[in-house]
Amino acid sequence: MIVGKQKPFEEIWNMVKDFKKVLVYGCNTCVAICHAGGGKEAEIIASMIRIKAAEEGVPMEVKHAGIERHCEPEYFEPLMEEVKTYDLVLSTACGVGVNFLSERIGNIPVYPGINTEFFGAVPQAGVFTELCAGCGNCILHLTGGICPIARCSKSLMNGPCGGTNKGKCEISQEVDCGWYLIVERMKQLGTVDKLYAIQQPRNWSTARDGGPRRVVLAHIQDLEEEEAKKES
Amino acid sequence: MSDKLSSNKKGSVLVVGGGIGGMQASLDLADSGFKVHMVQKEPSIGGTMVMLDKTFPTGDCSMCMISPKMVEVGRHLNVDIHTLAEVVSVEGEEGNFRAKIRLAPRYVDPAKCTGCGECEAQCPKKVPSEFDQQLGNRKSIYALFPQAVPNTRAIDDRYCLFLTSRKKGAKKDVCKKCEKACKAGAINYDDKGQEIEVNVGSIILAPGLDRYNAKVRGELGLGRWPNVVTSLQFERILSASGPFKGEVKRPSDDKHPKKVAWIQCVGSRDPHNANPWCSSVCCMYATKQSIIAKEHDKHIEPAIFYMDMRAFGKDFDKYVERAKNEYGVRYQRAMVSAIREDPGSGDLVLRYAAEDGSLIDETFEMVVLSIGFEPHKDAAEFAKTFGIEPNVYKFAKTSPLNPVETTRKGVFVTGTYQGPKDIPDTVMQGSAVAGEAMALLSEARGTETIKKELPPEKEVLGEEPRIGVLVCHCGINIASTVQVEQVVEAVKDLPGVVYATNTLYACSQDTQETIKQLVKEKNLNRLVVASCTPRTHEPLFQETIRDAGLNKYLFDLADIREQCSWCHMGHKEEATKKAIRIVKMAIAKSRLQEPIKTDTVGVTPACLIIGGGIAGMTAALSLADQGFQVSIVEKENELGGLVRNLYRTLEGNDVREFLASRIGQVRSHPKIKVFTGTEVRNTDGFVGNFKTTLTDGTEISHGAIILTTGGIEYEPTEYLYKESDRVVTQRELEKKIAAAEVQAGNRYVMIQCVGSREEPNQYCSRICCQDAVKNAIAIKEKDPSAQVFILYRDIRTYGLREDYYKKARELGVIFVRYDVNRKPEVAQSGNGMSVKTWDYMLNRELNIGADWVVLSAGFRPHPTTEKVGALYKVTRNPDGYFLEAHVKLRPVDFPSEGIFVAGLAHAPKNLDETITQALASAGRAGVVLSHDRLAISGIIAKHRKDLCMSCLSCFRVCPFDSPYIGEDGKVAHNEVKCHGCGICAAICPAKAFQVNNFRDDQILAMIDVAVECDTSVAGG
Repeated sequence: MIVGKQKPFEEIWNMVKDFKKVLVYGCNTCVAICHAGGGKEAEIIASMIRIKAAEEGVPMEVKHAGIERHCEPEYFEPLMEEVKTYDLVLSTACGVGVNFLSERIGNIPVYPGINTEFFGAVPQAGVFTELCAGCGNCILHLTGGICPIARCSKSLMNGPCGGTNKGKCEISQEVDCGWYLIVERMKQLGTVDKLYAIQQPRNWSTARDGGPRRVVLAHIQDLEEEEAKKES
Repeated sequence: MSDKLSSNKKGSVLVVGGGIGGMQASLDLADSGFKVHMVQKEPSIGGTMVMLDKTFPTGDCSMCMISPKMVEVGRHLNVDIHTLAEVVSVEGEEGNFRAKIRLAPRYVDPAKCTGCGECEAQCPKKVPSEFDQQLGNRKSIYALFPQAVPNTRAIDDRYCLFLTSRKKGAKKDVCKKCEKACKAGAINYDDKGQEIEVNVGSIILAPGLDRYNAKVRGELGLGRWPNVVTSLQFERILSASGPFKGEVKRPSDDKHPKKVAWIQCVGSRDPHNANPWCSSVCCMYATKQSIIAKEHDKHIEPAIFYMDMRAFGKDFDKYVERAKNEYGVRYQRAMVSAIREDPGSGDLVLRYAAEDGSLIDETFEMVVLSIGFEPHKDAAEFAKTFGIEPNVYKFAKTSPLNPVETTRKGVFVTGTYQGPKDIPDTVMQGSAVAGEAMALLSEARGTETIKKELPPEKEVLGEEPRIGVLVCHCGINIASTVQVEQVVEAVKDLPGVVYATNTLYACSQDTQETIKQLVKEKNLNRLVVASCTPRTHEPLFQETIRDAGLNKYLFDLADIREQCSWCHMGHKEEATKKAIRIVKMAIAKSRLQEPIKTDTVGVTPACLIIGGGIAGMTAALSLADQGFQVSIVEKENELGGLVRNLYRTLEGNDVREFLASRIGQVRSHPKIKVFTGTEVRNTDGFVGNFKTTLTDGTEISHGAIILTTGGIEYEPTEYLYKESDRVVTQRELEKKIAAAEVQAGNRYVMIQCVGSREEPNQYCSRICCQDAVKNAIAIKEKDPSAQVFILYRDIRTYGLREDYYKKARELGVIFVRYDVNRKPEVAQSGNGMSVKTWDYMLNRELNIGADWVVLSAGFRPHPTTEKVGALYKVTRNPDGYFLEAHVKLRPVDFPSEGIFVAGLAHAPKNLDETITQALASAGRAGVVLSHDRLAISGIIAKHRKDLCMSCLSCFRVCPFDSPYIGEDGKVAHNEVKCHGCGICAAICPAKAFQVNNFRDDQILAMIDVAVECDTSVAGG
């Protein structure tokens, strides 16, 4: 799921302080689970803004709302009319949600209330870890189920660099060396010999480097193409 | 049922005495199906505890703890309180007594009196107040104290102007102002009192104590020098409701004293002028008073003059260490021989001998005499009335093996009449006698009680809120800091509020009646009381509105005392503003309150006891006699626990015979199942409905659990133990004595506090002083030529055990004090041993040759305590002993319902105390098990599956395992396990969990009011 982290309140305040009517708009899926931007957090942020506004003597109307998901337009619809009555929407959805709403809301600005971090797992309550970088070309079958792109700081493909140190990465003692984990795991699986195969230089065009990505299901693509033909 | 009909045992109990011990016994009995008649000599129940200011170590206000209990007793359907009453005769036998009770005239008709107190205001006759210990006055028509239960005033015919003049034969009516003032017409000068008879199955004696009259010790100057006060007077001085309103002042000139001295053992440990026993509590209350005094006025320099610091109870030593290190309390080991007043200044010059023998005169500004306990003056007569034998000191005669049984069957004793003791031990004995009476009268349970008929709950859902607000003065506790009328004014027109007023004591019994009337008259559907902490007082008000037909969760309490007046003394304006805001918050919440339906669950009438030592077996027998099925699970292969190593008690009882007979009783009791060599694998469920699986696979269903996992003896690593066979523990010595293996003419050096009272084990093991004294006496009695030295830090032979300390000294046992910073040194010397120690009296080192070095090794919690604690999610104190729910008033309960504790698992204690606590745990468990169904609290978390994302946050953090992953793979919630702690509600990102009455919308409404500014600016 998408992991987000609330922005420092000072930053939020600077974004919203010049507006008169603000909606803090939460998304009740991924960012809710990571306690960053669900309806509950939206409510808390709204309260904090109201308190701050009162302290600063700034007249401001702040409300909150939350919907199931900000990345699908159908969820917006029932609330869209009301949302459009605000001067500013502070979205606590992930960056996807902010973009998505911004495209649909007309003349009202949509600002981000959280920083979107990564997509990750929840190993224990309140802890979120990045295990996949979404590169568009998965090789986990070659690396013992541990991703060198997400978990090696340098995204190396052919073993660790010289900075590996007793299982830790040179960037921090807190960060495991991804390649150390890969080797240990493959020893355990008895597949270390796979590592002797040299990985060719990688084609990063499937990842962010290839520009904004779009996935369209094959049958939909066919439909789209048909439509396009008809129109032309 | 046929059992009940064929038995001639009565289902009621007579409790003589209305102090905290009597109250505990009464509530336990009345809550478990017995009718209680409580007889109290004074016009109100409450006893000694009501006079105390704070209690240690928590610093809780004594009145605030006991007041709700008094009200609970006062309003209990199955407790009849007879005040101004004395039992004059008792006939019959156990199971069926007839007692005649003489009720003195009250001159006020309780049926008519509303407790308004107007008569008291008009009465012109001032009388020294017993409650304020003569430091203040009351009237001749009076309530003993403002929170008195019952609150019906009484006329004191020794002082009443009218009654005394009529008695003298005056022709003309004098005064009668109270009669004129009484709107209810409740005054009855012709009251003659009456005699009633009750028929009961058992009698519990809880008459409490008298205090030593320190005027006998003329050299201490009480009554002569005004700035010498008794410790109880000092409690009143400290009390916010006392004569000086909590300011520490000298009676002579209202000056704030700087140097204050406490003199210990006034009237105790002194066979010549006073009482030979130790009163058990004075060391700790002096320590508490010095800390509280210092908290009231930081300029005070407390000094405590003492013989031995007897901080023998659970966590007591830590408290004394805190007094020394954090509060700078000076402990001076010396007895004060005389006090004289410095003419003019009112200061007091204390003469005492320093430890090196030099005489010192030191000036103090105020002196507190730590007066001890003694039985009531009429104790001998009292014993005769009930046909029981007193001991030589006129306490009730009991045995360490049957600590709450008197010499007359069916008559039990609790509290200080059994021997000097503190509040928790008294409460424990209260539950213990209740347990004994339950066992005795089990077949008559429920035959004489009546059930409360509650009015149907009014339907309020959908109604507009109609809130009543009551703002309490708490005497002056609140009103001296917060402008109560201003608070009323500020909230009376808020939306939803239909009525607001102020009251002197919201918790008094007459106010409860007022509340009920208000609910009716003003058609209220919500109530807010602004007073003190909900922790003690919420249940009281909830019950009151329930009586008035409202769901009890339509009540809210605004704490403007602990959270306002007490912490903002001297800041009236700000405190008033804050109080207004606190009350507004409660009102904001109240508007959103909804009635909550509560559920009930069935109860399995069986108990699981973990640990088959003397505590476990005693609890088992009591519960089995009460008629419940009991399972004892013992890890070892035989029953008995630590007591197996014990031969005799200090008092000389044969412990081995006792143990054998107890094991025999347990083994042969048809209702007890014993599992030895077995442990608990896991327990599931909740109060009334536990299911336990043992390591042998056995499954047991039970409604309550008692943890009696015991302790272990510390195995010394010091003083050459295990290195020399001449170094033994007291227990090993006891075995040698029992086997007559001691040789004539030997010299024994005993060393106390081995492994106790030192970091990291900063606690007293409580039994070692007596063990040393017991063994020393046994040696000296057998062989006067033997020599025994006891090297000690403080001799802690508390209570009546002091006799044996005296006896040991008389037999020639030599006591030498050592300091923890200068411990004795033990060395091998030829065939024997040598012990070097510093003698503070002689001011030189002693080198004692010894045949035996005997180590008084203390207790440690049993290693399984940690595991068992984790299994049942009960907490332990820093030393590893189980932590009870409340150190004063709930000494055998855990916060988790249905789980109780007894014996060494709770703290080090003597055999008689273990037996008492075991009986108490059986009494408390009996209260739970005697119910067919138990009501589950309404304050639980509610789960909304439609909002839930099954993110597992709740599942991971719940300490009670109430959320679970259901068969559909989604989170579900078991409400019966829920304790309403609210962790799930706090963590749930979807707000799928909401705790009843603490819902987010309610809390947010409160916060919005709390942070509300000028609304024209704030908006939103």
